[in-house]
Amino acid sequence: MISSKLSNRLIFIFSLLGFAVSAFLLYEYSLSGPMVCPVGKGCDIVRSSPYASFFGIPIPAFGIVFYLTMAALSVIHSHEIPTKIIKRLQLLLALTGVGFGAYLTYLEAFVIKAFCFWCVLSFIISVIILKVILIRRNENRD
Amino acid sequence: MKTETKVLGIILLVTVALLLGFVFFLGKSSNSSNNISSEVLQIDYSKGQRIGSDSAKVRLVEFSDFQCPACRSAEPYIKQVISSYGDNVQFIYRHFPLPQHQFGKKTAYLAEAAGEQGKFWQMHEKIFETQDSWSKMSGSDADSYFLKLAKELEIDESKAKEAMEGDVYKTKIDEDIAEGRKLRINSTPTFFLNGKKLNLQSFADLNTIVGEELKK
Repeated sequence: MISSKLSNRLIFIFSLLGFAVSAFLLYEYSLSGPMVCPVGKGCDIVRSSPYASFFGIPIPAFGIVFYLTMAALSVIHSHEIPTKIIKRLQLLLALTGVGFGAYLTYLEAFVIKAFCFWCVLSFIISVIILKVILIRRNENRD
Repeated sequence: MKTETKVLGIILLVTVALLLGFVFFLGKSSNSSNNISSEVLQIDYSKGQRIGSDSAKVRLVEFSDFQCPACRSAEPYIKQVISSYGDNVQFIYRHFPLPQHQFGKKTAYLAEAAGEQGKFWQMHEKIFETQDSWSKMSGSDADSYFLKLAKELEIDESKAKEAMEGDVYKTKIDEDIAEGRKLRINSTPTFFLNGKKLNLQSFADLNTIVGEELKK
């Protein structure tokens, strides 16, 4: 149903999308004025909450590192040499990313009680990446 | 190397290069914009809490929010300006609590209530000093914390309470916000030097810019 090449391209494209969202969010974090928030008004609330950074590093910076690594892994994967280990790394990274994203989304829903459009968008992108990795994994097994 | 790897690799490199270029460009443009706007805006100087004489040569107006971390970090630099130039400069504090800050307005009301007893600046300092503590609190915890601050400065508790509940200083603060909007402020703190908007690269530049304005 889904070729290895296509799945790898999908992971690559979504990683770049996620990277763009995180980079934009980090840029917005560096400004003190109101944020661009296409849906709802939660972005400012989330940004000013104590959960906007982790060990002093703004959360979007983690997103940038996550998506760049993800994109780099799919570049290496396209070379098809150390493919097994790369696939495992991709899965591990995607699980970590989605896990962290789920925790942050939980915080938004139940602790901060406001949703930030960009953060949720980034979470959805990471879920899509994980989904593609899982589909590819299942198909390779068959 | 496979073509696919080359293409993806190039796309990735270009994306990263674009980002770096963007960061560099932004850094550069804000560097060169560390200056005074040439446009002199009409500010209502009859409003706001002030330090220094009305006849001072230089008037520095700040639109600020007690819950804004940047406003807090600007504080020592403002003090430096006041102590460096003394009678030659008047500093005016105007309120511009941002909507995303839960206690922005409440702390402004509290400071105004303290001002009624001649203790605006003491309260102003206390609120900024303790910003880290109360900004993370829940509504009711923060309320009692603010009353504790009022008590420490011997401010009439019932008056402080009444002020924080809203109506007493609401008009005053809303007028400040309205004027800030009219002056097209979109972030705090925003400084005006003799009516000219400052675009500061770092608050540390405040002292130099005021000094240059005094020489004119």
